[in-house]
Amino acid sequence: MEVFAYQGLIGLSSAMYLWLVSAGLTIIFGVLGVLNFAHGSLFMLGAYLGYTLYGLAGVPFGLAVLGSMAVVALVGAGVERGLLRPLYGLDPSYQLLLTFGLVLFLDDLAKLVWGGVFRIPPIPGWLQGSVSLFGRPYPFYNLFLIAVGLSVGVGLWWLFDRTWWGRAVRATASDREMAAALGIRTPTVFSSVFMLGSALAALGGALSTPVRPVAPGIGAAMIVQAFIITVIGGLGNLRGAFAGSLLVGVLSSYGTLWFPEFELFFIFAIMAAVLLVRPQGLFAR
Amino acid sequence: MRTVWVVLVGVGLLFGASWSAAGPAACALGVPAIKLGVQGVASGPHADYGRQIEMGAQLAVEEINAAGGILGCRLEMRFMDDENRPAVGVRNARFLVTEWGAHFLYGTDSSGVAMALGPVLRELDRIQFFTHAATHRLTEELVAQQKIKQIVRVSAPVYQDAVAAWLFRDRRDVRRWATIGADYEYGYATWAIFREQMRRLRPDVEFVGAAWAPFLTTDFSPHIAAVMATNPDGIIATPWAGEAVTLLRQALLQGVFDRIKVWFQAMGGSVDVLEGISQEVREGRFQGKLYATARYIHNWPNTETNRSFVSRFAKRWNRMPNYSAETTYSAVYITKAAVEKARSLQTDRVIAALQGMRVETPAGLRVFRSEDHQFVYAVPAGKVVWDPRYPIAVLGELKVFDPKDYWRWPPFRPLELSK
Repeated sequence: MEVFAYQGLIGLSSAMYLWLVSAGLTIIFGVLGVLNFAHGSLFMLGAYLGYTLYGLAGVPFGLAVLGSMAVVALVGAGVERGLLRPLYGLDPSYQLLLTFGLVLFLDDLAKLVWGGVFRIPPIPGWLQGSVSLFGRPYPFYNLFLIAVGLSVGVGLWWLFDRTWWGRAVRATASDREMAAALGIRTPTVFSSVFMLGSALAALGGALSTPVRPVAPGIGAAMIVQAFIITVIGGLGNLRGAFAGSLLVGVLSSYGTLWFPEFELFFIFAIMAAVLLVRPQGLFAR
Repeated sequence: MRTVWVVLVGVGLLFGASWSAAGPAACALGVPAIKLGVQGVASGPHADYGRQIEMGAQLAVEEINAAGGILGCRLEMRFMDDENRPAVGVRNARFLVTEWGAHFLYGTDSSGVAMALGPVLRELDRIQFFTHAATHRLTEELVAQQKIKQIVRVSAPVYQDAVAAWLFRDRRDVRRWATIGADYEYGYATWAIFREQMRRLRPDVEFVGAAWAPFLTTDFSPHIAAVMATNPDGIIATPWAGEAVTLLRQALLQGVFDRIKVWFQAMGGSVDVLEGISQEVREGRFQGKLYATARYIHNWPNTETNRSFVSRFAKRWNRMPNYSAETTYSAVYITKAAVEKARSLQTDRVIAALQGMRVETPAGLRVFRSEDHQFVYAVPAGKVVWDPRYPIAVLGELKVFDPKDYWRWPPFRPLELSK
């Protein structure tokens, strides 16, 4: 029983990490209708900026994470205004091509600026150590991740359900023309949503720096999982992304414990099982 | 006056032509330069290995050129990133040979890329000196069985990882072993060879758990938790490069080193891994329980050849040489010895020149094994320690075992790989 509970808790921290990345992807798709292949690259950029600020410049870890989010949000604004906006009226394949091109561009840019070698700065002192849970040491860092993930979930719920901006975003997602007719500045809404999604990707990336390697290409591995989660949850549905993250994170953790031979296959098995039962995803309407 | 100018120009041209014919570029092999095509992974968490391959090759090329080349022929090299992808590796090899004109190929980190390259080398009829890819199948199957003579491996294969069984054979307190394995052939082969050797040396040991992490895993915490649920005394781990650093960091976070007796990080003696965990080693956070090996370590053997190589490498690149640097550096010098003996660039003649070769390299004496074109040499294993004489953590308390004991030897019987 203790083994089961501990493994589940480890899976929960992995799930929160996946949630941070898939939340941004989901918001952008839900409102803008853009399947942003470059979301993983924004995650990578967030990781590199977090590393630069915290690992190289000596900025306190918390501030480095916030700084990274701010810079990537600005990059996101630039991408949305400068590159994506002219494509909104065109066939969606243009968006796919553009965001895929961005993946290649940002990967090469990272290589140019930071080199091809991986980086892992030390873990901040206040995040080291563990607490005893179910008879085993459970890392503070994982507890911190769970806390951040849940806070982001509550924050997004509040933002979208309880604020004027959230209502404007939902109205825009529902009917752009009607929202514009009602006086909502939809281009501004689009930019702000893209900035928020980008900042969430950067949050995931920057939080990862002390325990995961920062290197070109890490975004590609992350984006595959994030896409699987958004498909499981129902494309564009935030609650679905949260549930999908929990499902993939926790079940994958149990899969590692019980079926280690099927590690590679497990995440796809979960997706296939969900789609067989609900082809539209868990929470799609 | 005009005639004088014509004569002067003519004399000048003749002088220039005669200098270039008799100068340092006089190549006894009749080529403008001997071209070395080099490839390795130069992007992603494993990128340092390709970079070290490039640095090792370039240092050798610079030294050999400065000393007059090979039989008077200047060396020219070109490095390409294979991105750890077989298709890219094959495309690079084809380009390097057919477009760029490479006479020899070097490098390759991934076993998958190496296995894909094998048949292509036969088709291109170019020798590749493999300097990192470790799968036993490269030499046992492709050379010994399928007779792809163009494959030569200078680096130690996956056999080296089985040195763990010899290292811990006298640790009676370590009975329960588990693995956190790379979820591909390297991880399976290491676990299979380790178990095979351990069963022979210590029939009392148990193999209690295994978790398999796919390539590019960044979150090892489920794997660590799953393996620790089996209460192992010892863990043998095969993720390498940045993944090894990540794994060890995450193991520390879960308090693994408070609960186990030994952890063997197979390629943990690699410079990039030692750099990545230096702070934790200095702080004693592994509690003296972390052991490792590599395919060469810069602080062994204590010979003039090795000390001089390490010194020149560090001066040239401001880094300590990793094993992929040493193996590639040595491969270029092995090429030099073979070409000078063969006095030819032809594949058959160069391979004939390799037969029976015993060559002193920074890693020690390397001996060519003709059955599978594998160079045999010993690499020690030891504890990861902090030694103030070095800028990074190093392997200490080194133990060297005879490859005759722990390497596989022909005739080869198939190794049963399973998770």
